[in-house]
Amino acid sequence: MEPPAASAMPPARFHGLRRTPSSSFSGPVGWLAGAGLAWRSLLECLALYGNIVIGRERLDLPAFTAALRQAGLSILPAVTLVAAALGLILGRQAGTVLESFNFPGVLLFTITYAVVLELVPILVGVLVAGRAGVALAVRHATLVVTGQMDGLLVSGINPIRFVTGPVLLAMVVMSAAFVVWGSLVTVGTAYLWLFLVADVPPYQLIDAVRSTLGPFDVREALAKPFVFAVVIALIATVNGTIAGRDPEAIGEAATRTMIAAVSSILLIDLLFVLWPEA
Amino acid sequence: MVARPASVSASERAAEPAPTGLPALGLSGVFQHVAGHAVLNGVSLSVQAKESVLLIGRNGAGKSLLMRLVLGLDQPSAGQVRLFGEELSRLPSRRARALRRRVGAVLQRGSLLDGLTVLENLLLPLRATRMPRADMARAARLVMTQLQLDGMENHLPRALSVGQRRRVELARALVHRPDLLIWDGLTDGLDLPAVREIFALLRAEMEVRGLTVVATDNVTLEAILPEERVVVLDRGRVLFDGSRSALEAAAPSQLELRYLLQGRW
Repeated sequence: MEPPAASAMPPARFHGLRRTPSSSFSGPVGWLAGAGLAWRSLLECLALYGNIVIGRERLDLPAFTAALRQAGLSILPAVTLVAAALGLILGRQAGTVLESFNFPGVLLFTITYAVVLELVPILVGVLVAGRAGVALAVRHATLVVTGQMDGLLVSGINPIRFVTGPVLLAMVVMSAAFVVWGSLVTVGTAYLWLFLVADVPPYQLIDAVRSTLGPFDVREALAKPFVFAVVIALIATVNGTIAGRDPEAIGEAATRTMIAAVSSILLIDLLFVLWPEA
Repeated sequence: MVARPASVSASERAAEPAPTGLPALGLSGVFQHVAGHAVLNGVSLSVQAKESVLLIGRNGAGKSLLMRLVLGLDQPSAGQVRLFGEELSRLPSRRARALRRRVGAVLQRGSLLDGLTVLENLLLPLRATRMPRADMARAARLVMTQLQLDGMENHLPRALSVGQRRRVELARALVHRPDLLIWDGLTDGLDLPAVREIFALLRAEMEVRGLTVVATDNVTLEAILPEERVVVLDRGRVLFDGSRSALEAAAPSQLELRYLLQGRW
């Protein structure tokens, strides 16, 4: 029998996932293959959560706790610090503007809206991508490079459910919590500056929050970190899984994940902005 | 040049009807290319249930690659790999998982999860069985005792010696009581007494439960019995397929085999 050429070598298929070298994921077809793997990963995670809810599977609590630590506690100081710095910058600049144009209502409306719906969700997305997303990609890539992925596969374990499942859940929970916390810190710091330095009365600040954030805005503000976290986790999973067996692939997977995650966050945010309001 | 062995060839074996049901493992005309080089050149092999087969050959003969194909970790360029009569790569994921649970594997590179303790590694294959936790732990501890791993439950793999890690890998491969054991690198990290001990355990498993064993090695034939089956792989082809005693009888008269096996028993 004449064997086919090496380039025609089919990838291995396991648990419905194809173990494929990264070269198969290059070019437009590769991009589609990556999107397919991301979609498949999402379905696997949803199936895991569904099974946990109906009691057919158990949540890997140690892995979930570790993921909460990594996606949460480890970046809490950074989120707090950056949010406070952002609030001070906005307060300072707003104070300067108020010296020239006395429209505090419009200015406070703009600041609150921009912070809660745009700046903080994006900021949190970037920080979560940089910490938890990159860690997830590195974890997957390390498993592949060191042969541990093979150990999972031959043990009958689905690596997506095992590795990504707990991390995705932790990222969603912590991202939403960080957006609430980051918004409070940023808006609070900006308003504090305006109250103390620019003499803006407190009732104006409270009115600004009330008039800016309706139920739809709050929903959008909470939906964004949810979507960002899912997208970051899927990008990390795909980049880590297709990394290949070369040790250098671990670093490449981390870099690719960061770039793709930040780009995706901005593009998704644009889609949110352009999406017609009901 | 291929020396024709005195015993039954692999392709002839593969063509034979299975004496009892489907073979545990069936390879048919398997080719594999890696980076443009043909590593496997039409390998055909059939392993019946309850049989033990030692696959030997020099470094680079294609043994590990063949085991990866059997386990579904890679897919062949051409040919078929069947486990219990079914092609793993063509099965839907749920059935593939069910089929996988009938196989235990020890991989040559080592594949224990670094972040998990010995006990947690052993529990991995049992996760999908819906076994109660207490039974899972009991099964893991039993196999740890059998492989002299008592007291290492909470050790991380990096704290173990190479030989201990191999034992843990074997324990993980056996903990869910598979029908087929794939063991790549039989003597890697193990001394001969350890190999003999483990072989005694495997023979007991074969007799009691009908375990099928396919192992690869490039060093020794000492651990196997004269009547057990040996397959010699060289440059991606099956050079010999028969019993150890037939191999010993054939090797002196066949230069290629004698060269391959010089000093190995």
